[in-house]
Amino acid sequence: MTSEPMQPARTVLYDWHLAQHATMAEFGGYQMPLWYPTGAKQEHRAVLTGAGLFDTSHMAVLTVAGSDARSLLQHCFTRDLRRCIGASPGPLTTGRCVYGLFLKEKGTVLDDAIISQLSEDRYMVVVNSGMGPAVSEHLGAQQGFRVEIIDYSGRLGKIDLQGPAAALVLEAVLAEPDRVLADMIYFSCKGDIDPAGGAPVLLKNGTPLLVSRTGYTGEFGFELYLAVADTVGFWEQLIAAGERFAITACGLAARDSLRTGAVLPLSHQDIGDWLFQNTPWSFVLPWDEQDGRFSKPFIGAEALLGSSEVDYTAAFAGYDPRKIPVMDNTVVLDEDGEAIGRVLTCTTDMAIDRVGERIVSMATADSAGRPPDFHPRGLSCGFIRTTRQCRSGEQVRLTDGKRSIPVEIRQDIRPDRTARRSMREMRNQ
Amino acid sequence: MKEIDELDLPGDVYYSSDHEWARKEGETVKIGISDYAQDQLGDIVFIELPDVGTVFERGEEFGTLESVKAVSEVYAPLSGEVVAVNTDLVDAPELVNEAPYENWIIELRPSDEDEYDELLSRDDYLAVLQG
Repeated sequence: MTSEPMQPARTVLYDWHLAQHATMAEFGGYQMPLWYPTGAKQEHRAVLTGAGLFDTSHMAVLTVAGSDARSLLQHCFTRDLRRCIGASPGPLTTGRCVYGLFLKEKGTVLDDAIISQLSEDRYMVVVNSGMGPAVSEHLGAQQGFRVEIIDYSGRLGKIDLQGPAAALVLEAVLAEPDRVLADMIYFSCKGDIDPAGGAPVLLKNGTPLLVSRTGYTGEFGFELYLAVADTVGFWEQLIAAGERFAITACGLAARDSLRTGAVLPLSHQDIGDWLFQNTPWSFVLPWDEQDGRFSKPFIGAEALLGSSEVDYTAAFAGYDPRKIPVMDNTVVLDEDGEAIGRVLTCTTDMAIDRVGERIVSMATADSAGRPPDFHPRGLSCGFIRTTRQCRSGEQVRLTDGKRSIPVEIRQDIRPDRTARRSMREMRNQ
Repeated sequence: MKEIDELDLPGDVYYSSDHEWARKEGETVKIGISDYAQDQLGDIVFIELPDVGTVFERGEEFGTLESVKAVSEVYAPLSGEVVAVNTDLVDAPELVNEAPYENWIIELRPSDEDEYDELLSRDDYLAVLQG
């Protein structure tokens, strides 16, 4: 390491993005595409109507392995790995994935993560761009656990293939599509990021990869991991195989608007270095249904239960595409004009609009109320953090002092998302 | 993003350093944003237009363009009174991305003819973009 100013890193697809004339910006220490000449609006919509392809190689991937790997994660992660899968709920098992948080002792968020169990004592932990070292250090600092932590940052490519046509695109390039996809449920994975790992998943050309039925758009799809050297070739294969489904390369702007409409937080923006409480994401905490306590001890638990400060995070949607710039002086005003908080995220979901009292999406079935000739203008949406609880349906205003937009507090934003649709349905369209 | 040599910079309009263009049509001047501005903004999803009859000073904000990236103000390159606004843009703001020089935003009756001569020619504007 030198003391030179840090140059933003490049993913292995950087040259491809430039060759496609993407508009680039720095994000999480990487030079990433914001959008391609297609434009963010069409990119966003492609993920609801066909398929979108995202370079997410900036994200950090760790593995935690060893006889104490599970107990270390149980100690550090907010989900109870004994009861986090399905409705029952059952334990995390090999081939399943779970979303949760790593908290600090004081109950603030270090980062969010998807943990996938790769084998009996080996787990893949995917965290945000640039967070590999901090999360490795945090896990490694816990005393008394016999584990090996490997940071794969920079060694893997990661491609997110998202949208209702994602399975049709992927099966065209997999060596054994039926074996891999047939029983693949939401939040499960197959294959490995290490060629020495068990039960490989291979492309037709023999390239090994890990296929995970997860994503960050709220829509049906996959996160795909493979060696850096194989990534550009795989990306180009997917673009070619997806041509008949109008597959569209998508940048970070579409990723941000899709995830916001799906009420998914951006780490370090919607959750971060403040107490994690009263958010739309409290399902990540291991609540014990019986007595309102936690079902296990974990780092940050005592701070959450013992806190005296209180604030609230809520989702909102507006009435047209107008956003409010998120700046220091941007505030949330209640119906009496009282300032009650600040704006965390404000973007426009370009696939939705209001039809009467309801929000309708381009993915809403016509039988479920999508009007013929539905041309959504888009709705602003995002998250606010307030000092008092806002009730669902409450009207508040967001203002930067110059512009003021009315928005509605909501439990959910973009309806009829496809993420949980059955694999059978998505392969037999 | 377009390279500078890929930008469409017609010679029949005059430009401001804020990336608006102005085109004299008889007594009035149509105003829009340059190809560079629309390319920088990305997809425009909403436009706020002023009322006809409003009077702006040169350099004053006359409306906002909402893109996927940001809310951007547009500034009057000339002083004058708004005589028309392009209401086609209310339902189809993307027209500004598709054809920025056909899809004007407002039409002004200038109050000071000399200001028009102070705008940038195509070559001067190109020099501004090249920094």
